[in-house]
Amino acid sequence: MGDILFLVLRRMRAPLIALILAYAISVLGLVLVPGQDGAGAPARMGFFHAFYVVSYTATTIGFGELPWVFTDAQRAWVTFTIYLSVTCWAYTVGSIFALVQDQTFRGAVARSRFAGRVRLLDEPFYILVGYGQSGTSLAHAFDDLGVRSVILELRPERAARPDIEIFREQPLALAADARWPDVLRDAGVTHPRCKALVVMVSEDEVAQAVAIGASALNPRLPVIARVHSALARDNLEGFGNITVIDPFETFGTNLRLSISAPAVLWVEEWLSSVPGSSCPRPASIPRGHWLILGYGRFGHAVAQALEETGSTWEAIDTDLKLPDHPHLRHCNNSVQSLNQAGIEQAVGVVACTDRDATNLALISRARKLKPGLCVIIRQNHVADRSLIEAAQADMCFVKADVMVRECLQLLVAPLLNRFLMEIRARGPALAEAVAVRLLTELEERVPHIWSFACLAAYPGLREVLADGCPSPLRLGELLINPTDPSQRLAAVALVLLRGNDTHFLPDADMVLASGDHILFAGRAGVESLQGRFLLDPSPVSYVRTGIEPPRTWLFRWAARHAEQRRHRRRTAAAPRHE
Amino acid sequence: MNLEKVIFGFFIILACTLNFGFVIGDLDRVDLHHPSELFAALVVNLIATVLKFGDRTHIGATHLATSLVALVQLVAASLAWMWQLYIRHQAMDGEMISIVVSLSAGALVANMISVILLIGETLKQSR
Repeated sequence: MGDILFLVLRRMRAPLIALILAYAISVLGLVLVPGQDGAGAPARMGFFHAFYVVSYTATTIGFGELPWVFTDAQRAWVTFTIYLSVTCWAYTVGSIFALVQDQTFRGAVARSRFAGRVRLLDEPFYILVGYGQSGTSLAHAFDDLGVRSVILELRPERAARPDIEIFREQPLALAADARWPDVLRDAGVTHPRCKALVVMVSEDEVAQAVAIGASALNPRLPVIARVHSALARDNLEGFGNITVIDPFETFGTNLRLSISAPAVLWVEEWLSSVPGSSCPRPASIPRGHWLILGYGRFGHAVAQALEETGSTWEAIDTDLKLPDHPHLRHCNNSVQSLNQAGIEQAVGVVACTDRDATNLALISRARKLKPGLCVIIRQNHVADRSLIEAAQADMCFVKADVMVRECLQLLVAPLLNRFLMEIRARGPALAEAVAVRLLTELEERVPHIWSFACLAAYPGLREVLADGCPSPLRLGELLINPTDPSQRLAAVALVLLRGNDTHFLPDADMVLASGDHILFAGRAGVESLQGRFLLDPSPVSYVRTGIEPPRTWLFRWAARHAEQRRHRRRTAAAPRHE
Repeated sequence: MNLEKVIFGFFIILACTLNFGFVIGDLDRVDLHHPSELFAALVVNLIATVLKFGDRTHIGATHLATSLVALVQLVAASLAWMWQLYIRHQAMDGEMISIVVSLSAGALVANMISVILLIGETLKQSR
């Protein structure tokens, strides 16, 4: 706000002084010019009347000649006054319009409104730096989860896009260079409700600058940076709060998993996609000889992943500037060169170039030479999704999708990340068990993921988690609907964390202890229903007995009284039966 | 020599001197205080205030504050004068002129602070 005020004051200095001078000259002239009163006696106008006349004359309102009819001398002066003051007003108003149109001024206004709205946010939010394809997907994914995003984007035409896209909660966007610390601060890096900052810009150098700047401003803020070079990764990995994602490397890891342990990858993708979307297909990629078409950064990552799984590969690239490699052929993408690279004995091809049309052409040429090839294709532009889908590849690399999955995994439920890493380490048996549980107890959609903290500090759980409680809380009781005990909640407990012990897919009759953290996967809304167990003890006893316990002292007393009377009547009635 | 400094100093000192010229004389003698001088003081004060707009330094803010104080006092004095002449329809008397003059004397103090700030700022320049 201060910036705008100062800008206005500075720009309006000259017009305001011109206006003051014009008024002063006009008023003084009117006071000095001789006039006559109603009776024809000579009289001069006072300052008050002169100011009144000039005020309505200068603004071209014109009430007439007040307080008495003017003399000719006064009329001459008023004529001069009209031209002087109207010119000055035109100048002032023109300056105001010029100021409002001015780019600097509009930038300052937009910045100040943005900063004000961010400051007033009283809900958790994420900051996204860069609103390209990945940024757009991630903003929509956060929106689906009901979390606000704050967007910083250098290019104004991109920063204006959130305004025309459909969101449940409109993100706050600003066109500014996020490398400046004051821009980051305005975007809420130091805001107490800011949950994380995600950097997705095309240049690694910019990504580094933003990530380091943000973690310098707020060392406790989790920062995720997308980088593509090893140098940038090494620079950023020294910071404890910065997580680096290299989408090419991530895809390489996924490819490796899909060859060696497809079930693990399937469960991973299933649990970390955007909640509510349809369940991903299990991909099975064969081991053997592969053709890599296009040996850029992505091609390198794919080649490394294939090598790690024991497959062989041959790469083709038209770029003659690439350094030589025993498996790389510098040739065009013709049928002949595909044959030379050994398409006959290949089990699959990977189309890795950064042009979607080229990738599609390569795939169809390869399929013509050898039908039944396993096909992996890289999609570069979001707009080409339908083209790539039409190619019906076995696996598809979309940078934005990989970014969204990784970010959701890291940000939304950090426990999920730990769980998935553990599954990766334990191998396919556990992954298959998880998949079976998800398929039998939930529908074939991507579930919502949340963690439930079982702490005796919550008033609702204090009694049942206390030591020596006769009926301790069991996991299964958390899966009963607290508003209607006849129904089960649609949720699966994936993992229970107790100290350093992890229990995968814990049983329903497992006794819970204070300090347990449970990771649930389930339908939307179940999390808030489970939250009712925390606030007061009545839901826990309601799901056990089906009776809502009285909450206030008076009704508790009445209930106890009624219970005693019932008891007395029963003991009194007992002997008669004998 | 900097023309901006000349204009700035000119208006600030002129605002102070005009104000002084109006205030000087017995407090309750109408003929010693001419309305034109109050008008001139008010106009020059307005200009001085606008000249101080947009200076973001601390001393600039204090400058602006003193000018705003002087302006409030002078406008109050003019309104008192107007009240007597055009709303109560009575000639200026000793009681009323003393109110007007004491209000503008307050403005004079603010204007003097402004001048002191100006001098201080000038002396601070190491050249």
